[in-house]
Amino acid sequence: MAGLKLQDVRKNFGAVEVIKGVDLEVEHGEFVVFVGPSGCGKSTLLRMIAGLEETTSGRLEIGDRLVNDVEPRDRGVAMVFQSYALYPHMTVYDNVGFGLKLAGTPKAVRDAKIRAAARVLQMEHLLDRKPAQLSGGQRQRVAIGRAIVREPDVFLFDEPLSNLDAALRVDMRMELARLHTDLGATMVYVTHDQVEAMTLADKIVVLEGGIVQQVGSPLDLYNRPANLFVAGFIGSPKMNFLAVTVDSVTDDAIRLASPLLAAPAVAAPRSWMLPGDRLTLGIRPHALLLDDTGPIGGEVTLVERLGNETIVRIRLDAATEVTAALAGQRDVALGAAARLGLAPDDAHLFDNDGRRL
Amino acid sequence: MTAAKPKTWLARLLLALLMTVTLLPFLSMFTAALAPSGSYPNGLSWPADPQWSNFARAFEAANMGQLVLSSTLIVLGVVPVSVLAATMAGYGLAKLTGGRNRWIYLVFVAGLTLPFEAVITPLYYEVRAFGLLNTRFAIILPLIGLYMPFSVYWMRAHFLNVPNDLTEAAQLDGATRWKEFWLVQVPLARPAIMSLTILLFLWTWNQFLLPVVLVKDPSRRTMAGALGAFQGQWGTDVPLLCAGSLLILAPTVLLFLAFQRHFVAALLQGSVKG
Ligand SMILES: Nc1ncnc2c1ncn2[C@@H]1O[C@H](COP(=O)(O)OP(=O)(O)O)[C@@H](O)[C@H]1O
Ligand SMILES: [Mg+2]
Repeated sequence: MAGLKLQDVRKNFGAVEVIKGVDLEVEHGEFVVFVGPSGCGKSTLLRMIAGLEETTSGRLEIGDRLVNDVEPRDRGVAMVFQSYALYPHMTVYDNVGFGLKLAGTPKAVRDAKIRAAARVLQMEHLLDRKPAQLSGGQRQRVAIGRAIVREPDVFLFDEPLSNLDAALRVDMRMELARLHTDLGATMVYVTHDQVEAMTLADKIVVLEGGIVQQVGSPLDLYNRPANLFVAGFIGSPKMNFLAVTVDSVTDDAIRLASPLLAAPAVAAPRSWMLPGDRLTLGIRPHALLLDDTGPIGGEVTLVERLGNETIVRIRLDAATEVTAALAGQRDVALGAAARLGLAPDDAHLFDNDGRRL
Repeated sequence: MTAAKPKTWLARLLLALLMTVTLLPFLSMFTAALAPSGSYPNGLSWPADPQWSNFARAFEAANMGQLVLSSTLIVLGVVPVSVLAATMAGYGLAKLTGGRNRWIYLVFVAGLTLPFEAVITPLYYEVRAFGLLNTRFAIILPLIGLYMPFSVYWMRAHFLNVPNDLTEAAQLDGATRWKEFWLVQVPLARPAIMSLTILLFLWTWNQFLLPVVLVKDPSRRTMAGALGAFQGQWGTDVPLLCAGSLLILAPTVLLFLAFQRHFVAALLQGSVKG
């Protein structure tokens, strides 16, 4: 039984601060995903939990035990590397059993555990092979097998699927989800792919520039992004952003003005805004509908027909385009004029500093 | 595809020419070795009455059995220790020292620039001060030291190419540094260790200057070193000298034939890794 607790955790590489004070609590059994663009510090944070990078300052607890100065091997964690990091000179059997062997597990017990792990991962037929004789997906399984035989308190994954092709990635994603349900262990998973984050996570931690932007369930982040960064990062296609000013304010709604829009009214919780305030209006592509009386209009510049939905880009002016994901197969012609509408509740408003209102 | 193109013919011709040039001296040594003892064989001519007994006489005269034993003892004293020390140091320098301790590696690199001949005189006095002159340790200990710069450089180059992920995976699997070294790093380093072993063997076996300077008694030298004494003693009997030289060469040639594949690998590795 082990959760995780990070308190004002920081990491410097030389003079450069890469992790800038992270606070985070993870319950036992939670599947947590660190997501963010490349270089934001996800791997560094994960490696700090593993003990592979020293923590410059702050407290790091695994299962109520302060582990800042504990060796990686004594932290009760197992890690699956992006490169798999299998031992090239050992068979799959020995790769999976290496940790148990080091721990002095009796041979019979070790054998049973290795075979059990191989069964779970459907790789019993691979046990005698060397890593060089395996495909990418098979190596991935071995790497996961090596982690699960040791029954760690916390599993750490660093972009484990990024070297697989798209179809295999989807399969392995589902398998990881199943594994999490079966094992009930705490898992921390790093990815730059927000779809992976959304599908796997109980809790998503969005990182950018070494700072936690938001922590929440996938739907929390989707429905109530805390700032412009999260709003733009979570959700596909990306959220549309439009610069607007406040035109008038009533008790529960404000009316926006923009040269690009026909003054839409949106629900807004705050009435302290004043006419003339500058805001950013965020609209998810899936919130937009074809509507001849809608506030957004322009020329269609792109149509992508995916079968279940139709992605349409509409140019509002030379610098601004809006993406709409319309349900079903729509009859939209390239170059034609189109108008889009949205429900007042589907608008996200962000202040001048990018924070959600 | 059956008929070779003219260009490959030219290449083969050049190769054959080169091979002849390389082998000719050996061949002429061989025919000379078969000439009657005390005669002065000229050039390449098969003697009318080949004296195979010259080899047996040379074996006796050079005390070859003793020399093989001596060379073997010296190789056994030098190579395992050097390879072990270099493997550990290479690992340490590649994986365990960074940042402020990088200069340690530079000390070894500096050793690489030192010409062997430049240290032979100070070595003589040092070995004498240790009271080791005329013992095999006079060859073994300096050689271990002299091989370190290259060996450490060689092994470090190998360890630098081993991904850090493997070290980290081993650490998370519960390995101490020591276990990681023996169970993960050394097995992976086998090709590099093998090449280094072969190179050090050859250099030790063929070591000439050091034994000649530091050990007077030829029976305690390496074979190549003993050749010097043999030449001084039998320099006038050319057929015998040739037979003796060929015998001294034999072990390295046999070793080469046995480990051909590894030799080529060792040399290629050198060329790739620089
Ligand atoms: N060992 C290191 N030394 C110096 N800088 C590093 C080191 N490791 C990572 N960094 C820097 O820290 C930042 C975060 O890296 P990383 O955690 O690998 O990002 P991510 O995994 O999110 O792509 C990057 O700017 C990277 O250049
Ligand atoms: Mg990374």
